[in-house]
Amino acid sequence: MKKLSTLIPKKTTFGSAFKQCLLLVSLACLLGWTLNYSLLMKSFGSELRIEIQKKQLADLKAKAEQVSPDIRFIDLVSAKKLFDERQAIFLDARSPKENAEGSISGSIGISLMSVVKREVDIKKVIPDRGAVIVTYCSGGECDVGVEMAKELVNRGYASVFVLGEGYPGWSDAGYPVFKPKGGAASR
Amino acid sequence: MKLLHNDYFQLALRLIMGGLFLYAGIGKITIPLDFAASVYNYKLLPDELIGPIATAIPWIEVLSGFCLLMGLYTKGGALAISGLLAMFIAILIISLARGLDVECGCFSGVERKVGFLAILEDLVMLASALFIVSFDRVKLTPCAFLIGMNKP
Repeated sequence: MKKLSTLIPKKTTFGSAFKQCLLLVSLACLLGWTLNYSLLMKSFGSELRIEIQKKQLADLKAKAEQVSPDIRFIDLVSAKKLFDERQAIFLDARSPKENAEGSISGSIGISLMSVVKREVDIKKVIPDRGAVIVTYCSGGECDVGVEMAKELVNRGYASVFVLGEGYPGWSDAGYPVFKPKGGAASR
Repeated sequence: MKLLHNDYFQLALRLIMGGLFLYAGIGKITIPLDFAASVYNYKLLPDELIGPIATAIPWIEVLSGFCLLMGLYTKGGALAISGLLAMFIAILIISLARGLDVECGCFSGVERKVGFLAILEDLVMLASALFIVSFDRVKLTPCAFLIGMNKP
């Protein structure tokens, strides 16, 4: 019992609280890193990032299926083919702030919120309901690309696709991007 | 102000904060990849640091939460939680300023976007954690009960 009582100091100064805090953090790091050793190791290559992106994309596809069965996904290579052949309209559903940091070359930046709030009349921007539209956002971590696709499908657009990898995937693949802040389009 | 010095009020605060962080930490520990994804989404860390941070934070939450519940190293646990919350608030503010539309990753299984509400919640929890750090003496703990130190 005497030993136990030493754990409950009558008055803990900030210094001893700090020491306790350091001890807890060190123990937590030791436990977390030991028990998740494989995840930790994956982090030192790009393996963890790839695994996260794959999982997020799978989750996004599952979510899209729940939202609407009419929403179809398109992979990067097929999207690039449509881009090269100028057969599709690319629609950036992210916020204007994110769009300003970089977007797919030639894409139209219309945030989902502006469509939902009817600040932008999508019919005026894309009058052809038969046009092939590829929506995108920031990859698997965001769902505004899927939500935008749902809005378009609901408004009668027939060929709507979601680029699951989004702008980061497109940019990482070395495909053409436009960076207004940087001033120059790449590739 | 009298309420702030009430042992039972302090006990309630300790149990709420301890329980919250224990719950938050366990949720993240059970699905580590989900929390690693949340850390990755904020795009503030290089890839190499995502794993070390995402595996350590849940354990800090669990150990600190346990300490608050049990009344062992209470101030140290509350200080660790305060540090975490201060970091979360800074990250949320930065993400909001950058216009990021991502899940906050605050609690596993709870879909919450980065926003003012999440910041407000964290500020309230930070105030509570700092208040626990400022306790004169931690009373009404299971260990103190065992050794008969629970007399106010």
